[in-house]
Amino acid sequence: MDKKRSLTRYVVIFVLAQIAWFSLLGLWIYRFISSRMILKQVDESLSSWVMSEAANIFTLVFGCVLFLAISIGMSLIFRNFTVQYKITNLYDNFIANITHELKTPLASIQLNLETIKNRNLEHSQMEKFITLMLRDAGRLNRLINTILEVAGLEQKKAVYQCGIFTAGRTMRELIQESRKQFNLSENALNISGRAECECVIDKNSFRILIDNLMDNAVKYSRGPVHIKVNLQCTPKKFIMEFSDKGIGIPSKSLKKIFSKFYRLQRPHAPNVKGTGLGLHWVREIVRYHGGRIKALKSEKGAAFRIELPVYRVSRKRRLKKLLKTSQKLNAGIK
Amino acid sequence: MTRSEFTGSRILLVEDEETLAVGIEFNLNDEGYEVEWAKDGRRALDLFEKQDFDLIILDIMIPYVDGFEVARKMRGETPQVPILMLTARTGIKDRVKGLETGADDYLTKPFHLEELLARIKSLLRRKNWYQDSAGEHPRFRFGDNEVDFINLTASAGGKSIILTFHEAAVLKYLIQHKNQVISRKELLEKVWGISPKARTRTVDNFIMRLRRHFEPERQRPVYIRSIRGAGYMFVDKASNDEIDR
Repeated sequence: MDKKRSLTRYVVIFVLAQIAWFSLLGLWIYRFISSRMILKQVDESLSSWVMSEAANIFTLVFGCVLFLAISIGMSLIFRNFTVQYKITNLYDNFIANITHELKTPLASIQLNLETIKNRNLEHSQMEKFITLMLRDAGRLNRLINTILEVAGLEQKKAVYQCGIFTAGRTMRELIQESRKQFNLSENALNISGRAECECVIDKNSFRILIDNLMDNAVKYSRGPVHIKVNLQCTPKKFIMEFSDKGIGIPSKSLKKIFSKFYRLQRPHAPNVKGTGLGLHWVREIVRYHGGRIKALKSEKGAAFRIELPVYRVSRKRRLKKLLKTSQKLNAGIK
Repeated sequence: MTRSEFTGSRILLVEDEETLAVGIEFNLNDEGYEVEWAKDGRRALDLFEKQDFDLIILDIMIPYVDGFEVARKMRGETPQVPILMLTARTGIKDRVKGLETGADDYLTKPFHLEELLARIKSLLRRKNWYQDSAGEHPRFRFGDNEVDFINLTASAGGKSIILTFHEAAVLKYLIQHKNQVISRKELLEKVWGISPKARTRTVDNFIMRLRRHFEPERQRPVYIRSIRGAGYMFVDKASNDEIDR
């Protein structure tokens, strides 16, 4: 609440500053013209002696351009500031969420360790607790990896190993792998379309992307999970549509959900946990591959559309660069 | 299994993290409690409606209905059931909100098993003490005020108030020992069931709330008086003159 108010304060200050600039500019032009007119009236010869016509016009125009440049510069800095400001606000939420996500498995590990220490457990019970602790350790590990990977992504330090793959087949493989990982039955998933086009893909990061979409579908479904995937190729693009029958995304939030740290506040949702990094990560992966992702309006559940450029047709410089860095990386590893 | 006076007490555990819930349930069973586990707020309210419980252990961030709302609804139905909030949130605001919505105690994750068990015991002990003493004198009248210790309601100067369990318990304890000086330490031990360390402000806050409810002038209390350096004393107005002398 306080933060919102203080942002309004900055907006007011910015608008006032802009008004001040332009008033000054107006005043300056007015003064310039009026003094010229006075000089003209006094004496033609004196006027030309004071300053030549061309020099006068030049000063006026140059001054205006400078003023405009300052004003545009200020606007850009202000825009950047507001974006940063919003991220900072979301960051507070992120800290609260991440605290929860880190402390919960930790609490569980601590409790189970103290249980083993304090109670006389049978072997089978001991094994049960150890399995639980391993599960929590895995969860902590995944969470920490997510935070580090997303940070690396922003500093362009993420490591990609791209290759040229038939898009449809690769996605089918990755989706099936992910389905097994989430213990979903074959009926929960419906994949249609063939998509024989070739794209530049880093399989590892697409595995993360699909896992994230799948995880959301599982987390936000009230009943059994139903996921539909459609794969197709147009002459220039490979398109994957991924939809579930969960609680969906309100249409006003369709764009925001990809923002870093952004989380929908829905107290009556089947899931209340998360970091606000998942979909941001997904979007960064797609962008890195030169593609686009969009959350679609859907009557039931959430729906995403991912587009990747087809390799042979687009031959974008970006794709070549991706392949080149990957090749260098591979050579380095060997 | 350790046998205690509370063996067989029924506890409702509301926790959506399976690994944590399994551990807690195992330990509570080992202590001789009967445990029902609810994975989300909806299920918790459902179980609460159908069965009787002696204690609720409640996580805040749970699906469908959050912990604060669950606590509020449970309090609305059964004002006396002790609620122990268990949560990863550590902010002061969350603690205050938790206590205001009716939680009796607040434990942050990660916690020590022994601390959890000790707090459960102290909540159960307090509940028993309260039930016994409230049963003896369920209603009490002083000045314009009347307190119903069973339903945790009161009327103060014609206004009706809903009391939290702690407010009622502090008042009950002071009334039970009226005209005697009760130290903050004693209140912490008897009403909160905790060892008095640096938390003496807790008592003062509750006294302030009680004064806001029942005193005609908060700054010049006539019923709940501060005894400098010693603690508090409940004085029934009928015997006021005697005390003043």
